[in-house]
Amino acid sequence: MMRGDYARVTAADRPGVAQPVPLRPVPAQPWGRILLGAVLILALLVAGWEEYWRAYGAKPAFANSFGLWAMQRRRIDHGEGDATVVISDSRLFFDLQLPVWEKLDGKRPIQLGLEGTTALVFLEDLAADPKFTGRLLVGVAPQVFFGGHRYRAGALKYFKKESPSQRIGQWLSMRLVEPWLAFYNSDYALDTVLKRQPWPARPGKTWSMAVRRLSVTEADRNTYMWDKVETDPDYRALMREIWLHDLAPSDDDPPPAKQQENAMQQIERAVKAVHTLQARGVKVLFVRSPSTGPYLEYDEWYFPRKTSWDVLLARSGAPGIHFQDYPQLQGLEQPEWSHLSHAAAEQYTASLYQIIERDFWGPAALATRGAPQSAH
Amino acid sequence: MVFNSLTFIVFFACVLGMHSLPLPWTTKKINLLIASYLFYAAWNPPFVILLWVSTVIDWYAAQGLVKARRQGARHAWMLLSVIANLGMLGYFKYGQFLLDSFSALVAGIGVAYHPAHYDIVLPVGISFYTFATMSYTLDVYLRRAEPAKNLLDYALFVTFFPHLVAGPIMRPTELVPQFAQPRRATGQQLRFGLALMTLGLFNKIVLADSFLSDVAERVYDSDKLPGALDAWAGTLAFSGQIFCDFAGYSTTAIGAALCLGFAMPDNFRFPYAAVGFSDFWRRWHITLSSWLRDYLYIPLGGNRHGAGRTYAALMTTMLLGGLWHGANWTFVAWGGLHGLYLAVERVLRARFADYRPGPLVFVLLGILTYTLVNVTWVFFRAKTFSKAWIVLRGMVGQNAAVRPILPTFSLISVAAIVGALVLTHWLMRARTLESVVARTPAAVVCLVWAFMAFLIVIAQGSGSAFIYFQF
Repeated sequence: MMRGDYARVTAADRPGVAQPVPLRPVPAQPWGRILLGAVLILALLVAGWEEYWRAYGAKPAFANSFGLWAMQRRRIDHGEGDATVVISDSRLFFDLQLPVWEKLDGKRPIQLGLEGTTALVFLEDLAADPKFTGRLLVGVAPQVFFGGHRYRAGALKYFKKESPSQRIGQWLSMRLVEPWLAFYNSDYALDTVLKRQPWPARPGKTWSMAVRRLSVTEADRNTYMWDKVETDPDYRALMREIWLHDLAPSDDDPPPAKQQENAMQQIERAVKAVHTLQARGVKVLFVRSPSTGPYLEYDEWYFPRKTSWDVLLARSGAPGIHFQDYPQLQGLEQPEWSHLSHAAAEQYTASLYQIIERDFWGPAALATRGAPQSAH
Repeated sequence: MVFNSLTFIVFFACVLGMHSLPLPWTTKKINLLIASYLFYAAWNPPFVILLWVSTVIDWYAAQGLVKARRQGARHAWMLLSVIANLGMLGYFKYGQFLLDSFSALVAGIGVAYHPAHYDIVLPVGISFYTFATMSYTLDVYLRRAEPAKNLLDYALFVTFFPHLVAGPIMRPTELVPQFAQPRRATGQQLRFGLALMTLGLFNKIVLADSFLSDVAERVYDSDKLPGALDAWAGTLAFSGQIFCDFAGYSTTAIGAALCLGFAMPDNFRFPYAAVGFSDFWRRWHITLSSWLRDYLYIPLGGNRHGAGRTYAALMTTMLLGGLWHGANWTFVAWGGLHGLYLAVERVLRARFADYRPGPLVFVLLGILTYTLVNVTWVFFRAKTFSKAWIVLRGMVGQNAAVRPILPTFSLISVAAIVGALVLTHWLMRARTLESVVARTPAAVVCLVWAFMAFLIVIAQGSGSAFIYFQF
């Protein structure tokens, strides 16, 4: 290699000497006009992209980011430790509507649910946090809870290590970006859009498609089903197709015995955390929100109630609400089998609240049940 | 804060605004210094103390060096700087690694030693700024540089935010003189600086984060055995990712400095068009390789004391260079492989001193170089040796009962992006970006700039950290 091959001399070509002040030539171009043109073209492209997604049905919403989750989690450590807190996978996260609860209770719960993520992660976190002394609703989707799925468990680490820069970024994003741009959603990110194009299948590689956008999130993480899932039959069919594919047996599935062993491990960890919380006076209530169709069949096949839900309640001593035990929690609209429609979620929240007040947390229930809590 | 964040956009706009105000030059430098401390504190405020410690020690060490009359005293001041900086680096970066290595060593002779877990947070960019401050004391010690005229200029040299956490690793003679006179970017510099920042962020957010990192993760962080296609795709993806990530950072840093009127050196010269490993290291992470050469390889004897000493110095430099990247033996193996390549190349060059390859052989040697570089990336990316062996076995088709890991889209994106990257490096291998931009029609420059910016916007980067921050 000849040194003359290098277009510009750098420290690599000057061994053992003091390195001089670098030269940074600016290419001879009309940079003012170039910048102006680039800004105009960028504005047009972004406006077109925004218009495309609005025409698709998207509206500006808050990103369900770790930063947003951390903001809500911080409330517990900053004076709201006695609040009602919701931890859950996507079911109770989407199905429990904070405005409805607030209307009935006078206080708005803190929503810490995260899709595809077992509530156990956050149950253990709250058990280890003495500042939390409130009431806890623990959502249980059998597949996620007893299967120990941790799709977005990184939120906890993010919360614990969040830098000032990230906090400022979240604050800025919630004011400058998210309320204005409909395309600002991970489902419309460039790589996501390209990945889901109909690329030819690779021989031997099973088809898989990431779950598409299902929900709309508000500033305090109140989350509900996106109306496109409810009103667009093609989109709803796509959601169902993705679920069916996810629910189909796969070579990667653990054998049933291993699955049951794993479920028992999850239960034992939950029991330990619940006992810690109860010793601190925290009221813990498990909630099994409705599922229907193939999803319900899957839940019942892989994690039968008797060997999962019932064991969890019996071992932990905490009460629980299973939708199959309450007629008012059944028969609600579930467009893609796993989550309630927005209107159904509001109805479900009202019914759930009334059951909880009547049977578990209301004055009459407490007088009857006493403390510590006993199994339902 | 990271360059690819909303926080940085607002921060940088404020810094540009402050820097353009009609204020005295000293006030502007104080503004830049405060801004740089804020930039660093935005990760973890207490670690600013480490910056101060490093700054103050080297400032006084250099003062002591100048005033010292005896050689012994000069040695002592130099050693104070080196020990303090390497001590800090050792404590924060290598403490747990040394303890773990020691436990493994004594376990090998049957002694069970289980030290408490360190659990120390690694201050971001510590490897970069400790090397920058050491180069100041060492240059003064080697009489290559005068000490800075005042503490403000020196502190700003250490802390100047564009290079602070991931380089380019600046030498005092490159940056301190720039603080002597008032500097403000011309309109042309400001606009070209913004264009460079766009290019750097495009590399990072669009190419590295959106397309390549996921492919490397699927192969390297999965428990599945990769076949040849997956192992190569994952490794090629990582070769593209690490270049786009790190060169993207350097380009953004150079652009940010230029927007403020300061010049920073090139850190990359299209390295995947290298022919041979000495060529590669003149093109890859130039400011680190030249730092290691000037302050480690040459002091160890360089090539002035016979073949044996030369090879020993070479291997020592590359092994320590590997360790600089991370507290893991896989990084040492990465450095060792590069040392071995350099040694073999040295032998071959001596043996075939008169050989001049024709164009075809030249390209083939380039492909061989890139292929062997990819072998080293396996050790750089794999978290353990066992994973590295699994991927290497996959690359030579020796993993049994493999099933496809990557979907078609991943294979296509790696082929397209890494193919285009390597081709670009070959087309640019004897050119500069500036020379090509100068010859390109303005309308094309405008379109390319707008399109890169658009892709950055719609990629919706997650603000993930640059890979080299951890080093």
